[in-house]
Amino acid sequence: MKAYIDTHVPEFLRRKWVLIVGLLVVWFVLGRIFKGVHTLDIGNSEDTPTTEVLGQFAANIRAARAENPIFVYIFNPFRQGIESFVEVIRAVISDPAPGALIPVIGWVGILAFIGFIVFATSNWRTSLLSMVLIFGCGVLGMWTYSMDTLALTIGAVVLSLVIALPIGIWAGLNDRVMKTVRPVLDLAQILPTLVYLAPLALVFLIGIAASTIATMIYSIPIGIRITAHAIRSLQNGPIEAAESMGSTRWQKLTKVQLPMAKRTIILGVNQTTLAALSFVVIAALIGAPGLGEPVLQALSIRNIGDGVTAGLAVVFIAVMLDRSTTAAVVHSNQIPLTGKPLLVRRLSLGAAAIATIVAIMISRQQLWAAVFPESLDFRDPIGNWFDAITEWFTTTFYFLTTSFNEVFTLNILNPIEYLLADAPWYLTIIMISVIAAIIGGRTVAILSAILLLLIVWIGLWNDTMITLTQVLIATTIVMLIGVVLGVAAGRNAKFERILKPFLDAGQTLPAFVYLVPVLALFGPTRFAAIVCGVFYAAPVVVRVVADGVRGVPKEMVEAAIASGSSTTQVVTKVQLPASKKSLLLGANQGLIFVLAVVVIGGLVGAGGLGYLVLQGASKPELQGKGLAAGLAIVLLGIVMDRIAHASARRS
Amino acid sequence: MTTSDSAISVRNLWKVFGPTPNAIVGTPDANLSRPELLEKTGCVAAVNNVSFDVADGEVFVVMGLSGSGKSTLVRCLTRLIEPTSGEVFIEGEDILAASKSRLRELRRTKFSMVFQHFGLLPHRSIIDNIAYSLEVNGVKKDKRHARANEVIELVGLSGYANHYPEQLSGGMQQRVGLARALAVDPEVMFLDEPFSALDPLIRRDMQNEIVRLHDDLNKTMVFITHDLAEAMRIGDRIAIMRDGAIVQVGTPTELVLNPADDYVSDFTNDIPKSHVLRVADIAVPISGGHASSSQPIPHDAIVRSVMHRVMSDPDPISIAKNGEIIGCIGRDELLTVFAEDINEELNA
Repeated sequence: MKAYIDTHVPEFLRRKWVLIVGLLVVWFVLGRIFKGVHTLDIGNSEDTPTTEVLGQFAANIRAARAENPIFVYIFNPFRQGIESFVEVIRAVISDPAPGALIPVIGWVGILAFIGFIVFATSNWRTSLLSMVLIFGCGVLGMWTYSMDTLALTIGAVVLSLVIALPIGIWAGLNDRVMKTVRPVLDLAQILPTLVYLAPLALVFLIGIAASTIATMIYSIPIGIRITAHAIRSLQNGPIEAAESMGSTRWQKLTKVQLPMAKRTIILGVNQTTLAALSFVVIAALIGAPGLGEPVLQALSIRNIGDGVTAGLAVVFIAVMLDRSTTAAVVHSNQIPLTGKPLLVRRLSLGAAAIATIVAIMISRQQLWAAVFPESLDFRDPIGNWFDAITEWFTTTFYFLTTSFNEVFTLNILNPIEYLLADAPWYLTIIMISVIAAIIGGRTVAILSAILLLLIVWIGLWNDTMITLTQVLIATTIVMLIGVVLGVAAGRNAKFERILKPFLDAGQTLPAFVYLVPVLALFGPTRFAAIVCGVFYAAPVVVRVVADGVRGVPKEMVEAAIASGSSTTQVVTKVQLPASKKSLLLGANQGLIFVLAVVVIGGLVGAGGLGYLVLQGASKPELQGKGLAAGLAIVLLGIVMDRIAHASARRS
Repeated sequence: MTTSDSAISVRNLWKVFGPTPNAIVGTPDANLSRPELLEKTGCVAAVNNVSFDVADGEVFVVMGLSGSGKSTLVRCLTRLIEPTSGEVFIEGEDILAASKSRLRELRRTKFSMVFQHFGLLPHRSIIDNIAYSLEVNGVKKDKRHARANEVIELVGLSGYANHYPEQLSGGMQQRVGLARALAVDPEVMFLDEPFSALDPLIRRDMQNEIVRLHDDLNKTMVFITHDLAEAMRIGDRIAIMRDGAIVQVGTPTELVLNPADDYVSDFTNDIPKSHVLRVADIAVPISGGHASSSQPIPHDAIVRSVMHRVMSDPDPISIAKNGEIIGCIGRDELLTVFAEDINEELNA
């Protein structure tokens, strides 16, 4: 066969992109001819055999909670343990313990305490910034919500680190452990957050425990990965020297490896914390108290003002957590003070400690210091102001928001959705598998076909294709943005400096918070979900591409310039081809990030699998379908990840 | 079996890397050349049947190009890398038979190592870097700091005790490395290309420092280098390694005068003989009282260093060893050596 192709098919027809374009044309024509045939479209509340089984399974679990020994002796005590741990933190800062009127520490005490912790781990400037940001949460009228979010985040981070740090260190030291945990970490990375909310809620009930566990599942892999990396990337020299001086393994670990890895490990804490925060907000979907609640309410009743205010509070907390942990990384990297500066530092730390204790005492005695005063609460004016801005913006820029949305939907979104979702399912599977074969090889093609057939078997084919449409479009846009901005940033340091704060913000902000403004601008549409996906994934892809372009050896670029290339030629003939690996990696990351957010778009009317998951979470009779949709999301994620991976490996 | 007066005794040491390291030594495969062995078994003998002795207080240099196995060899001696087979005795103790805890004890007290890239702990001050091996051995803080301060003085780093490695230049960092190795007052020091990462000028300084420290402290040293000039300057004896095996062991003079094969002579040809030979090597018997009446030259003076004296004296000058006259050296002998050097240079 191959020999036949080699001799009889003209060379240009054997090029990959020619083949793919040809296939797309064939696909498009066939899709038009067979439009509406065998699309496997089912009604919203219609069950399939598989979803019925899953629904029954969910019902069984609900029934078993009270009696089944696995629940009575394992799951329920576990749930109660985690819940009481988080409740202790809440009792201190947000939610008064039963019988108490106010939390253990009032707002003045909390401000002082946060200021002190940040001062002790970094510097007074960051400490001041942190206090201002937390105070800002109160001004936004979100004090208690903010403290709930903070309490849940802290609880989840502490529990995550207790697990992630030892495992990460172990995996850093031991290859076999690394090999064992790596597949789990990889899977966790491509698993969209929305997927494991429902199963956890099923087992651990809606509320704090399920939210905390879900958050941990999300943040632990990040902590493990960075900690293991921190240990693995250490220079060997000092470690070998320590060995040559007769250190035991324990001494080597505690006196050499851990101190040297400290900086990167704290960076891991930073990433774990931000991941936990973004998840705690989303966990409002399964009953987590905190800022996610007002955001969710705002999304369901389109109360933009309140939603944006709450989102802003999330941003404040995110910036506070990010700045303070980043400052701690810098601080831990400094040469320790000696002499007079050390004395000054110790004295000011002592003074700050006394001031903090006094503030905490006052906040327990005086009402004004205990409860955030209403005179400082500007929730309503700020909310109204945001409402007014939105109103003005959407009317003034009608052509940008509504018109653009419509044009885009009619000319791009709908045709592609017809192709994927309105054609016979076997046509779509064949075409996707053949394209997978061309860009990724036979193994991936077979794997894709099998996983897609599984989705057909589950019975949610049509919804999966609707989601896939949005993911593919959003990823294409993300890649365009990523290549343009990434190349610019990679080539121009000044441009990168300008871009950096935006990228940082994009990566720090929980995805949930920009659903609100996007909903405000574009209404509950599929387009809104795509915009969210683009916002969420673009910063990562820009970073990856910029790193790749910057990583192209300088000599290569100089040689191209020296042989008379124009700037465009340098970019297209040298820098982009040489960083192809980064581009493919970026595409892979983009796909996964987009998928994670596009399914959340179910909340803002994007339909597809995300909508089914959310529906399943709120309506028991649709729970089977929700679980099945989660499964379909995972399968879809694996298909896309494997195809992107294989094409990256092949290049 | 060990020679009783040698500080280190190595016999038939092997280190094989690869899929089947234990299936090489003692089989006919062991005699294969490096490419043949790799082709046949996928293994590389980084250290290939090495045997040598180092006397007490001697500076023994192992010289070889990169990949010749010298760094692996020195690590095998203290089992930072486990040898595949062979015997290593240090101060009469069988190192390869030592238990893990005994090995740690030896590393903490009897031998110490200096590394090419210093291997300082970036998060510790200079004094705590130097006191590290005392610390892991459970020495109290006052005592170990007192000892660290002594060696800081010894290597000329006074005033830097509370600095951090990154604040020091490369040369100074390696002084810390030396001080750290000296802190435990070891019986044997292993130095793995300690000056290769330094600038040429600093390198020369540090070589003099080693010579000075050795004169003062008389430690047994195993010194690894790829630089023959450095080897000649520092070493009492030099072992030349190639493809994991020792090609020749000898004093600098022996290597220059009688290279074992082309490989060795390729190295030594570049070294002017006048820089290496000592006056005793080219001395002639005193015939008929012709020797000059001036002060005798010590027998171990380098030929080049006496050029001026010999050339300015019409008569040969006598050579003394331990107060006894063993011969003399005149203009003829000196010029012969220089003529050879010039000849080499022209050929090159």
